[in-house]
Amino acid sequence: MMLRGTGVTKRFGPTTVLSDVDVEVAPGETLAVTGPSGSGKSTLLHCLAGILVPDDGEVWLGAERIDRLSDARRTDVRRQRFGFVFQFGQLLPELPAIENVALPLMLGGMRRRQALERAASWFPALGIDGFQTRRPGQLSGGQEQRVAIARALVTAPAVVFADEPTGALDSDTGAHVMDLLCGLAVRTGTALVVVTHDPEVAARCHRTVVLRDGVLRDGCVPA
Amino acid sequence: MTSLSLRLLRLGGPRAWTTAGLVGAGVAVASALLAVALGALHGLDSREARTGWRTPAAAAPGEPVIAQVRTRVDHAAGKPITQVDVVAPGPAAPGPATPGPAVPGATGPGPATPVPSGGTTAPPGLPRLPAPGELWVSPALAALLRELAPDALANRYPGPPTGLIGDAGLRFPDELVVVIGRPAGDPVLTAPGDSRVVPVASFARTTVPAEDEGYRQLTIVAVALVAFPIAGLLGASARLTATRRGERLATLRLLGASTRQITVVAVAETTVIATAAAITGFLLEALVSPLVARIPLAGGGWFAADVRPSVLVSVGAVVAVGLLATASAVGGLRRVVVSPLGVARRQQARGVRLVRLLGVVAALVVFAIGNSALRVVDVEAAGLVMAAVVLALFGAVVLVGPLVVRGVGGWLGRRESVPALLAGRRLQDDPRAAFRPLAGVTLAIFVAGFLAPLSATAWGATQRDDHTLHVRAGTPDQATTLLARAGIGADVRPAAGERSSGVDVRPVDPAELDRARTLLAPLAPGTLVQTDAEASGQNAVLLDDLRRGVLVVLVATFLVAATATGTAAAARVLDHRHTLRLLRLAGTPVRVLEQARMRETAAPLLVNGAIALAFGLLCASPFTAATGVLAPSGLIVLGSVLLAGTAAVLAATAASRPLLRSLTREDQERSL
Repeated sequence: MMLRGTGVTKRFGPTTVLSDVDVEVAPGETLAVTGPSGSGKSTLLHCLAGILVPDDGEVWLGAERIDRLSDARRTDVRRQRFGFVFQFGQLLPELPAIENVALPLMLGGMRRRQALERAASWFPALGIDGFQTRRPGQLSGGQEQRVAIARALVTAPAVVFADEPTGALDSDTGAHVMDLLCGLAVRTGTALVVVTHDPEVAARCHRTVVLRDGVLRDGCVPA
Repeated sequence: MTSLSLRLLRLGGPRAWTTAGLVGAGVAVASALLAVALGALHGLDSREARTGWRTPAAAAPGEPVIAQVRTRVDHAAGKPITQVDVVAPGPAAPGPATPGPAVPGATGPGPATPVPSGGTTAPPGLPRLPAPGELWVSPALAALLRELAPDALANRYPGPPTGLIGDAGLRFPDELVVVIGRPAGDPVLTAPGDSRVVPVASFARTTVPAEDEGYRQLTIVAVALVAFPIAGLLGASARLTATRRGERLATLRLLGASTRQITVVAVAETTVIATAAAITGFLLEALVSPLVARIPLAGGGWFAADVRPSVLVSVGAVVAVGLLATASAVGGLRRVVVSPLGVARRQQARGVRLVRLLGVVAALVVFAIGNSALRVVDVEAAGLVMAAVVLALFGAVVLVGPLVVRGVGGWLGRRESVPALLAGRRLQDDPRAAFRPLAGVTLAIFVAGFLAPLSATAWGATQRDDHTLHVRAGTPDQATTLLARAGIGADVRPAAGERSSGVDVRPVDPAELDRARTLLAPLAPGTLVQTDAEASGQNAVLLDDLRRGVLVVLVATFLVAATATGTAAAARVLDHRHTLRLLRLAGTPVRVLEQARMRETAAPLLVNGAIALAFGLLCASPFTAATGVLAPSGLIVLGSVLLAGTAAVLAATAASRPLLRSLTREDQERSL
C-alpha cells in the first residue's frame, strides 16, 4: 500500500517548518529522510504518520486520505497500519519485553495468549531470544531497539516509521539494527521511512530525500 | 548549589511553575488543616486557663481559705447557664469596692469601670472576689435577663447584676454564666446536688473536670485521626516532582556532582516551596479562624484567638513540615547516589518486601496492649493511649497498602484486557508510588470504620424527660399553692423513682417551665430545679459534640484525602508523561490510557478499603461493639463515606484527565 504526501506544509506559529513537500514510499521500499538539525525531518515523519495534521497538502495511505480523518480514526490507523521505532524511551518500562511487543496486538483485540505467542516468534529473528521476560531497563540499547523493531513489525503494518533509530547506539550496533530493520521491512513487504542525520544509515535505504529549512532540496535521490 | 536549584525552578517555565504551584497548594492545604487541629488543642487549653477556676483545687490543710466555690448548671429558655456560687469564708466578707461595667437595664450599684483579668485572689474576668449579694453575669446572660420576664429568670438571683464578666473569664463568647457572691452559712453550702463545695486558697490552682479532660482526650484522638492523612498529603505533594527531580539529579550525579551537592539541590527546591506553603497554610488558618470558631464544642463556639495555635507551636509546625518535605525529598536520593544509571534508565522494579507484615503484627500487638491499658489508665492518659493505638493501626494500613497493590497488580496483569495489563504492570512496577494516590482515601475509610460504630452510639442515645421539673424539697401542696398563685397549671406529684424526697412538677404549658422553676426554687434553698434531661445535660452536650466531631473529622479527612488523591494522581501523570505520549503516538486510544488509570486506582482501592475498614472497626472495638456499624446511623455514616470516597477518587482521576489529554495531545509531539 503506497504512502504518499503531496504539498505537505506545516507551520508552528509564525514559523513554517515544512513547505510544499512531496514524498512517497512504496511497499517493501525503504526511504531515508535526511537533513540538518531543525530542517523539519521529524515533523515530516509526524505528518506522514498521522500524528500531526499538515496545514496544507494531503497525505494518502493507498486510497485513504488520512490527514482528513478524525483524531480517533487517525489513532486507529496508527495502531493498525503503522509501526514506530524511536531513538529511545519507546518501550514501557513496567512491561517485560514480550508484553511490550504483544501490546499492539492486544490493543487490536487479539487474545492475550495468541498475542504473546505471536510476539515470541519475533524474538529469534531479531537475535534477542531469551530476553522475553526482561524489562527494558535490563536490556542494552541495541537489544531495546530490536524489541522496538519487533513491536513495530508484529502487527504486519503497511509502513514503519523510524525516527533516528540508531541515534543512541554505537556504530556497529547501529549498523546491525539498521540491517535488521531494512531486511525485515523488505522481506515482509513493509514500507520503511527512516529519519536520520547519519549518512551511513541513509545509505542502507533504497532512496534518500534531503530536507533543508523545511523544503525538499534535492528531490528523491536513489541510494 | 542552592542557587542552582532555585534557578532550575525559576527557568523551568510554566510547567515547572505549575508543578511547584501544585506542590505548594497541597502543602498549604495540609498545613492549614494541621493548624486547625493544633488550634483545637490550643482552644481547649485557652478555655481551661480562663475558666478552670470554676472547678478549683481544694486548699491544702492549714492553708488560708479565701472562699468556697460551688459550680452547677442551671437552665433557662432551654439553654444551660453555668452558675458559680462563691461563698465568703467568714462572717465578715469584704463589701463591694470596685464595681464592674454597668449592665444595661440593671439597677446595680456604681458606674461602669473596665474589668481586669483576675489574679490569684480574684477569678479571671472579675475585678475581685464577689462580695455577698453581688451578681456578675456574662454579656450573653445579661441580654437573656433583659429578654425574659423577671419571674422566668431574674427572680432566681439575689439581686440585679453588679457587672459584666470580662472575656478573660468566659469559656466562649456567648456563654451564659453567672457568678454569685454568697454570705457565710448560705444554704448553697449544704444544699444537695451533684456538685461539691470546694474551699479554695487561690483561683490560680485548678483541677480539670473529667468531662473537660474527656474532650481533650477526644480531641487528641481526632488530631491523631487526621494526622496521618495530613502527613500523606504532605508526602504526596513533596513527591509531586519526584521523577523529574530524580532524573535531573541523576544527570548531575553522572556529571560528577558529589553526594552533598545533589542533596542540596534536591532539598533546596522542595524545602523552600514546602516552608513557604506551610507559612501560607498557617496564615490561611488564621484568616479563617473566625469561621472555625463558629464550630461549637462543649456547649459553644470559640473566641477566634483560641483556635489559632500559639506562635511557638506554629513556628515549630512550619519547621516540622519543612523537615518532613525535606526528608521526603532526601528519601528518593539514595538510589540516585548509589546508582544514578539505575534512576536514569529504570533498571529494576521498586518492589515491596513481605517484611512489612511484621509492622502489621507490631501494630496488632500495640492494639492489644493499648486495649488492656485503656481499662486501667486514668482519663488523662486514655486519649494518648488511644492516639497511639490509632497511629499504630494507621501505620499498619499504610504498611500493608503497597503489598496489596502489588498483589492486585499481579492479578490485573494476568487479565485479558490491555487496560488491565497496563494497570497491573504499573502497579507491580512501583507499588509504593501506586499506593500513594490511594493512601488518603484508604485512611479516610479507616476513620469511617472507626467512627461509624461510635456514631451509632452517639445517634442512638435516648432523650430523657425534658418537661418534668424536680424540686428537691417541699410538698405537693406547697408547690401547688405557689404555682396556683402565679396562674400556672401543672401536674404535681411526690417525687418518684430513685428520689426519696421532693416534688415532681410538670407544667401543662411547656412554655411555663422557666417561670415554674423560678417560683419553686425557694422550696429547696440553695438547690437548682431541673428536669432529668437538664440534670444529665452534660451527657447530651457530649453526644452532640460526638456527632459533630464525627462529621468534622470525616469532612476534614475526606478533604485531605481528595486533595492528596488529586495531587498524587496528577503526579503520576506528570511522572509518566513521556511513556504516555509514546503510547498515544503509537496508536493507543486515550480511552485505553484512562481506563488503565481508572483500574490502577479502583482495584487496589477496593481491597485496601476493605482492609482499612476492618482495622477501623477493630480500633473502635474497645469503645463499642463493631456490630454498631450495622445500626442505621452507622450504616448511614459508612455508606456516605464510601460514596464520598468513590466520588473523591473519581473526581481526583477526572481532575487529572485534562492533564493527561494535554500531555498526550498531538502538538506536543514536537517536544519528543
